[in-house]
Order: sequence, then C-alpha cells, then structure tokens
Amino acid sequence: MTETKNAGSHLEEEGEIAADYLEGLLDIADLDGDIDMDVENDRAAVSIAGGNLSVLVGKEGEVLDALQELTRLAVHAVTGERSRLMLDIDGFRAQRRSELVVTAGRAAEEVKASGVAFSMEPMNPFERKVVHDAIAALTTMGLKTESEGEEPNRHVVILPA
Amino acid sequence: MLEDALEHLVKGIVEHPDDVSVKDRVGKRGRTLEVHVNQEDLGKVIGRNGRTAKALRTVVSALGGRSVRVDLIDDTRD
Repeated sequence: MTETKNAGSHLEEEGEIAADYLEGLLDIADLDGDIDMDVENDRAAVSIAGGNLSVLVGKEGEVLDALQELTRLAVHAVTGERSRLMLDIDGFRAQRRSELVVTAGRAAEEVKASGVAFSMEPMNPFERKVVHDAIAALTTMGLKTESEGEEPNRHVVILPA
Repeated sequence: MLEDALEHLVKGIVEHPDDVSVKDRVGKRGRTLEVHVNQEDLGKVIGRNGRTAKALRTVVSALGGRSVRVDLIDDTRD
C-alpha cells in the first residue's frame, strides 16, 4: 500500500493515525484539545492545543515523551513501519526548543572565545538534536558537536574549531 | 476512566486489539489495573527494556492513578 504513495502522503497518513489515537484518549479522559497535523523536516508533526493539558506534559515533559512513544507505536501498528513522529502539547517542545537555541548560542560563544570544549547538561534525544542543529546553523563559528555518554547522562559536547 | 484510557492506549499498539482487556482490582495493597493481552503481543506492550510498559505507567499515573499499579498479563486463549 505504501509503495504507491509518496513520502509526503505517507507522513500525512501517520498524522491521521496519531490524531485518531490521541483524540480517543482525550475523549476518554474528558480533556479538551484541538489536534493539529503537519509535516516538518520529513517527519509527521502532531500538536495538541488545549490550554489545560499540563497533566499530559508532565514534569520536564516526561508524560509528553511517554505519549509520543505510544503514539509512534500506534502508527507502527497500522503502517508496519517505524515512525519518527513528533508530538507537542501546549507548545512545550516549541518553548523548550527556543530556550535551548539561546543556551546553545551562549555556549558556542564561550567555546569560540576560550577554545575549550564545553559539555552541555544531559538531554533527551529531541533536545540534543535541537542543540546539534543550532550549532550547525552557526556556520561562521565553524564549531562541531558530538554526543557523548550513555543515557540518561548522554549530552552534547561543543568542540572548538 | 483510568481503565478505559489504558485499554485504549494498549489496543492501539497491539496486533490483536480484540484480545485486550483491563481489569480493575482493588486489594489490600491498593488498586491494580491488570492489562490482559494476546500472548503474541506481550513483547509489544513491554517493549525494549520495558520502555513501553514504562510509558503506559507514566500516562496512567498522570491521568490520576499515581498510586495505581499496572500489571501486564498474557492470556493464552486458544
């Protein structure tokens, strides 16, 4: 079925399966939320906005991460293919992303000035990717990044040029 | 509500959703939600290093079942 479709509509299908799964949960839990589906950077992106969904985000986004994991599995159960879908709730990831970009920018300036590698605090895979991308986007600085250590202490190291 | 939410979450990720049921049991040691799944799906609901089971427990806990245990049980029913 999937081979007759292009990648874009495949990701749209992922979004629809995810939305059904999450909609069902919101109904049962009697939570109000609008589900929005998009495709970003070759991934399905699903976001729920409700204003009163902090219970589904949890401390440091731990409930959000759990829901994202389950939603990816729900997509996999239907399509038979691994999903890299991103879930956001009440803009938690968007907010976290912009904070991390600022933090990464400051750390990059420090490394540029000192010439010494800098280890960021441990982060989850989403957060590490944001930092890698943020440093890579600072092309004029010419810095490199690596991930080091094992979960849950895996962290990004910013290396001088 | 909790058992319905858990049942919905599990049904969506298994190959045999019709074999999923959740039993709500209250004993001396508190409340337990027993998730029954087809034997073929047990590995799926546990996940690598128990990752999926942990995700299910995290969501149940967030929805109000902070002190509720979640047990995964395989039913061999043929």
